[in-house]
Amino acid sequence: MELTSLSFWIFSTLAVLSAIGVVFLKNIVYAVLSLISTLIMVSGLFFTMGAELIGALQIIIYAVAIVVFYVLVISTVPEFKGETIDPNYMFVSLPVGFLIFIELAYVSLYGAWKSNVGMFTSEVIKEMGNVKAVASVLFTKYLFPFEVASIILLVAMIGAIIIGKKDHVIEEEASNGSL
Amino acid sequence: MVPYEYYVALSGLLLVLGLIGVIIRKNIIAILLSTELMLNAVNIAFVAFDMKLADVSGQVFVFFILTIAAAEAAIGLGLIMAIYRLRKDVDVNTLTELKL
Repeated sequence: MELTSLSFWIFSTLAVLSAIGVVFLKNIVYAVLSLISTLIMVSGLFFTMGAELIGALQIIIYAVAIVVFYVLVISTVPEFKGETIDPNYMFVSLPVGFLIFIELAYVSLYGAWKSNVGMFTSEVIKEMGNVKAVASVLFTKYLFPFEVASIILLVAMIGAIIIGKKDHVIEEEASNGSL
Repeated sequence: MVPYEYYVALSGLLLVLGLIGVIIRKNIIAILLSTELMLNAVNIAFVAFDMKLADVSGQVFVFFILTIAAAEAAIGLGLIMAIYRLRKDVDVNTLTELKL
C-alpha cells in the first residue's frame, strides 16, 4: 500500500474515533484531550494533502493556543453535575445527522464541481513550495481580508477581557467612591 | 494518491459528528468543542478541493477560519465565564431567563 493512502487511513480513522470521543465522553477534560487528538490528526491529513503551512498552523494555533483557552476555563468552572447527553435529542439527532451526511455525500459526488482550475499547477507548487505559494496569494489578492482579520482578533481580545472581567470589583470601587 | 472524494467524505462525517454533539450535549463547553469539530471539517474540505483544483486560495481561507476560530473561542469562553459567575451553572436546559 502506498504511503500516502496508508497515512490517510490511519489519520482519518484516529480522527473519527477521537471526534466520537469529543461528542460522547462524559468528563469534559477527557473531551478536550480527545479534541487535541482530533486536531493533531487533522493536521496530519493536511500534511498528506501537501498543505504544510496550514498543517503547521493547525498545530500551533488550534492544538496549542485554543485548547489552552478551554483548559483554563474548565479549571475555573467546577465539575458538571448533570447528565452528559440528552436522550430525547439523541433519537432525533442520529437520523437527522445521517440524512445530512447522505445529502453532503450526494452533493459532493454528483454536484457541479466544474470550476476554474487555479493558476498553481502541481509543477509550480513543487518548484516554489507550498508556503511561498500560499503567501504569494495571501499578501497580494487577499491583503485587505488579512488586515480585517487582524482587527477582528484585536476586537475579540478586547471583548473577551471586558466580558470575562469580574463585575464585583467595579461595584466595590463604585461603593468606595460613594462613601 | 488518495482521491479527494475520501477527504470530502471524512469532512462530512466530522461535520455531522460535530452537529450531533451540538444537539445532544448539555454542557456549554462541550457544545463549543463540537463547533470546533465542525470548523475543522470545513478546513479539511477546503484543502481537499485545493488539492483537486491545484490552487492555494482554499488554504488562504483556512487561514482566515483559524483566525475566526481563535476569536470565537475567546469570546465564547468569556461568555461562559460570565454565565457561570452569574448563575453557578453551565447547563443549557436551565438557561431560560429570556423565556416568558
